Amino acid sequence: MLAIRGLRKTFGGRTVLDGFDLTVEAGEFVALLGPNGSGKSTALRCVVGLETPDGGSVSVDGNAAMVFQKIHLVGRRTALDNVCSGALGRLPLHRSVFFGQDVREEAVRCLDRVGLADRVLERCARLSGGQQQRVAIARALCQRANVILADEPVSALDPQAAVQVMELLVELANDGLAVVAVLHQPELARTYAHRIVEMGAFA
Amino acid sequence: MTMAVPKRRWPSSTVWIVAAVAVVVHVLAWQATEFSPAALIAGWEGMADFLAESLPPDLSVLGKSLEAAVTTLYIGLLGTTFSIPFALLLALLASRATTSAAWAQQAARAVLSFLRSVPDVVFALIFVTAVGLGPFAGVLALVFHNTGVMGKLWAEAMDESDRGPRDALRVTGASGPQIALHAVLPTVMPSLAGLLLYRLDVNVRSSLVLGLVGAGGIGFLINQSIKLFRFDEMVTHILVVLLLVVVVDQASGFVRKRLGA
Ligand SMILES: Nc1ncnc2c1ncn2[C@@H]1O[C@H](COP(=O)(O)OP(=O)(O)OP(=O)(O)O)[C@@H](O)[C@H]1O
Ligand SMILES: [Mg+2]
Repeated sequence: MLAIRGLRKTFGGRTVLDGFDLTVEAGEFVALLGPNGSGKSTALRCVVGLETPDGGSVSVDGNAAMVFQKIHLVGRRTALDNVCSGALGRLPLHRSVFFGQDVREEAVRCLDRVGLADRVLERCARLSGGQQQRVAIARALCQRANVILADEPVSALDPQAAVQVMELLVELANDGLAVVAVLHQPELARTYAHRIVEMGAFA
Repeated sequence: MTMAVPKRRWPSSTVWIVAAVAVVVHVLAWQATEFSPAALIAGWEGMADFLAESLPPDLSVLGKSLEAAVTTLYIGLLGTTFSIPFALLLALLASRATTSAAWAQQAARAVLSFLRSVPDVVFALIFVTAVGLGPFAGVLALVFHNTGVMGKLWAEAMDESDRGPRDALRVTGASGPQIALHAVLPTVMPSLAGLLLYRLDVNVRSSLVLGLVGAGGIGFLINQSIKLFRFDEMVTHILVVLLLVVVVDQASGFVRKRLGA
């Protein structure tokens, strides 16, 4: 589902990734661990095109969505609008000024999937951190992603919200998505991940 | 172990040169503007005469004055409103948050800085020759100048918007215009509205000055009173101007505070 081969990336002469490989199958939840600066975020950002790799290949069977530690929703907009914006990639510009009924229905189903069907019209800034992260996951679902890359999805959350989000990610993997999550707590990785990949640091 | 301590560098020779040039320029400016406190003191009688002539204000022109003040307000209003579409389009093109093509950014910035650097009074003089004396020339002048100023302020507000939501939408495959529509604009809308009200406030005051060069409104009446040496009329107009400015300033400030911008 996701295959990364020999990924290389340098920032101004500093090698961050030097031949990184990772394969994730559909239905698999992989946890990515490693010290600060080992290139975990950079690897994920290369997969979704937020960074351009210097070498190597990335192949995604379908499309990849990303979930961020800082969540990155538009706080002033409703949960529904934020989730609808996941569909932008497949909408022509003239149909993306106001979202059509079909997109809105799909977005409501995505919000229902993450357990937030009752908060559809709430402004995101008024939701708790854990709820916001689940809205961000719903946005990834509305993107119809088959691969979800989560960069420290629970680092900013309290333990209870973190557990909810981790359980949600595992369920999505069990439903057939390929999920990669960068984690900083090894216990969470051991509890939830099907497989743990350690990244070393390049000094 | 001893470490090399950097030498004290201040004041350096650059500082001395800058200071010397500044002094020379100020002396030249003093001479060129015939700056003279003595003339101000000697001329106080002239001011006293002027005040004596202008008081009490001639309130018989109050009706005409208020009417013209409303015209001035309308010039400022239309000048601001009609510049919205142009300012928005240019700001979207000029901001690096919404436009990635460097040439498009540069082109939009060049247009904005041209419109901004031509003072509205100069635009007014140009448009007076095109459409004749009157408020319409004032509206056109404000539309042009305000597009430049407001477009730049808006572009800066967009530049400062958080990069995260933009990246998040880029990952979904959204195009530049879609990201502008769904990440940038919703985020910066309160700032844009606040800047719009601030510009409305400034433009109403500018339209007074535009009146002085023939673009209608109460500025035009002030100009006429001066030409006819009717200083008592002029004082009435000026009181009305003060009222107008205070009302607009307070109203705009109140709404901006409610917006939290
Ligand atoms: N845009 C950039 N420009 C320059 N250097 C960068 C950039 N992005 C990342 N780096 C550098 O690349 C290295 C790896 O960064 P990255 O964010 O991928 O690490 P990480 O494994 O996610 O670390 P953390 O656990 O702290 O999140 C760091 O040393 C960082 O300073
Ligand atoms: Mg990171």
